[in-house]
Amino acid sequence: MEFEPTIVSFLCNWCSYTGADLAGTSRLKYAHNIRIIRTMCSGRVDPTFVLESFKKGADGILICGCHPGDCHYHEGNYKCLRRYHLLKKYIKQMGIEPERLHLEWISASEGKQFAELVDRFTGSIRELGPSRIKEVVNTLS
Amino acid sequence: MEEVRIGVYVCWCGNNIAKMVDVQDVAMEVETLPNVVIARDYKYMCSDPGQDLIISDIKKHRLNRVVVSACSPRIHELTFRKALEHAGLNPYMFEMANIREHVSWVHNDREEATRKAKSLVAAAINRVCWHESLEKRSVEINPATLIIGGGISGITAALEIADAGKQVYLVEKSAQLGGFASKMCLTSPFMYSTTQMIRAKINKVMNNPNIQVLLNTQIEELSGYLGNFTTTVSEDGRDLELKFGNIIVTIGLKAFDPSVIENYKYGILPDVVTSLEFEGMLKAGKIETRDGRIPRHVAVIHCVGSRNATYHDYCSRLCCKNALKYANMVRAAIPGANIFEMYADMRAMGNGCEELYSVTSKKNVMFLMFDQHNGLPEIRKAGPKDNCDMIIELDEKLSGERIEVPADLVILMVAIEAHEEAKRLAQVTGVSMCGNQFFIERHPKLDPVATTTDGVYVAGSCQAPKDIPDSVAQARAAAARVLCTISKGNVEVEVTTAEVNEDRCCGCQTCISVCPYTAITFDEEKSVSVVNEVLCKGCGTCGSTCPTGAIRAQHFTDLQILSQIDGLLEKSMELKEV
Repeated sequence: MEFEPTIVSFLCNWCSYTGADLAGTSRLKYAHNIRIIRTMCSGRVDPTFVLESFKKGADGILICGCHPGDCHYHEGNYKCLRRYHLLKKYIKQMGIEPERLHLEWISASEGKQFAELVDRFTGSIRELGPSRIKEVVNTLS
Repeated sequence: MEEVRIGVYVCWCGNNIAKMVDVQDVAMEVETLPNVVIARDYKYMCSDPGQDLIISDIKKHRLNRVVVSACSPRIHELTFRKALEHAGLNPYMFEMANIREHVSWVHNDREEATRKAKSLVAAAINRVCWHESLEKRSVEINPATLIIGGGISGITAALEIADAGKQVYLVEKSAQLGGFASKMCLTSPFMYSTTQMIRAKINKVMNNPNIQVLLNTQIEELSGYLGNFTTTVSEDGRDLELKFGNIIVTIGLKAFDPSVIENYKYGILPDVVTSLEFEGMLKAGKIETRDGRIPRHVAVIHCVGSRNATYHDYCSRLCCKNALKYANMVRAAIPGANIFEMYADMRAMGNGCEELYSVTSKKNVMFLMFDQHNGLPEIRKAGPKDNCDMIIELDEKLSGERIEVPADLVILMVAIEAHEEAKRLAQVTGVSMCGNQFFIERHPKLDPVATTTDGVYVAGSCQAPKDIPDSVAQARAAAARVLCTISKGNVEVEVTTAEVNEDRCCGCQTCISVCPYTAITFDEEKSVSVVNEVLCKGCGTCGSTCPTGAIRAQHFTDLQILSQIDGLLEKSMELKEV
């Protein structure tokens, strides 16, 4: 059976979640693998959320926030961006390919871009194959 | 802790969800999950009987948590929270799983879609277990209103609110009120004098004691929140502090600059003018070429910058009917002139417009159709032998022939663009913009004047190209919304603010450095951070920064989101293995 990745996505309420809603209202089709979790701001995405998701079996994690300058809370997306770069380095040390974590800006009007992004990201995770970290964690515990 | 008793409701949304998701299967599957007392599927959860179902179940089954799996929480979260309140439950003991916008509408595979729906509902069930009762907070509304932009929308909204006896600050960037509409000669399709119409309105504004007009003024910064905003403007060199409870943004539009379209030679050939410049001619009472001759051939080109992938995809909505107005006015002023309307599609919509189109077509006006995507008409200077100043060459779509048309005057129906101040003001007021820099309303159908920022409303062409009647209607709607909040006197606000656990706080003050609202201060005596819940907007950035987990973003706590992740992945994994 072909590998079907599991993808967890954190979307900010104001831009990206609304953008994903727009993809829906526009009836755009995209890969089913994504599971969306809403936070008020991408700045709320705690590193723990990302690490726990990997630990529990996510093969890829997609974070989306408002475009620079458009954050509903002024600058939460910049906080997210800084954390993202650190997290990428960190997960690499833990044996998770950094490509499994991705951040992109999606505005409330970018339903099409969101649908395309999901397909692109799902494709890249499919190529990477399943994440091994869940197995590792299970073996260790 | 009390026993958790959850009711789960899976909505069909008619066929919108049920077609792609096996809703009964979802309900059956999640009913077996821990803490779930009852799980049902129903045709329309948001309908009155749907809500009554929840209310009666809460009473009958002593439910203390509810999960509705339906559309986006951005649409119906409040509806269901109210239903919980009716049943005597705290409205925050509720969670929604979005299986319409995020599942049924975007996927093709029914089996996968059902599987995804199950994991989203399982996640919501896990999350709602950790929800807590939050007490609503209400803030008093300052009865004054700030209106940014003194065009027809701003003026209308100002008068509406001032006539109700409330204070209005009407701020206009330029030296006079009236905006774009005041640059027009007559309205279309019913030929009213805009000058008279606007002047009468401006007089009313100027003489209304409840309206303070601030010309040559811009809003640079804004602080506060719904009910209590503050800004400082400069008036005659003095700083003036304004306090108000609501804001209506009516900054209007900008006309497209056609010089970027080479075919039309705007700025090169003197008698190629924009619709706006032609309005100036009409206002001055003469239609003539730059050198003062009466044009014998007048061409009107539609969709200049509109409905064209290179410039703007959207339709500017006003141009067709104005172009028809021009044909009529040229015909009246110069009975013998040849008049050409070059259009891509005739889209004169609205009351009286189709009638204007048919009247115009009987006035010896030549309608020529061109294809927006396969070459625009091309204007060139006429040769010495031609009996005209310019020649317009185009592929006429209906006849399928390439033709040449004489012209002495060409009117370009320029597109409507977002105002050049739109981006800056979006940042100042916190309003979202679409890709074309028009402001986005809270909901395109159900909430077309509010924005995603509480207390900030939009009206007029800053939201999308609009004619005068639509702008006036929207301005009055925005004014009505503002008056509603004013007459209520106070408003309930989100209580999903951050909270500090003083026992856990180590006093590192990292939270203070990341808070965009300076809502967190440091209590030197106790050596802990303190959140001012009036200033806190609940973004949760502090929560994800706090190294000791002392700050909780209420309703988006670590525990709630981590349980959601758990539910999501456990269910996904379990279903995958099956």
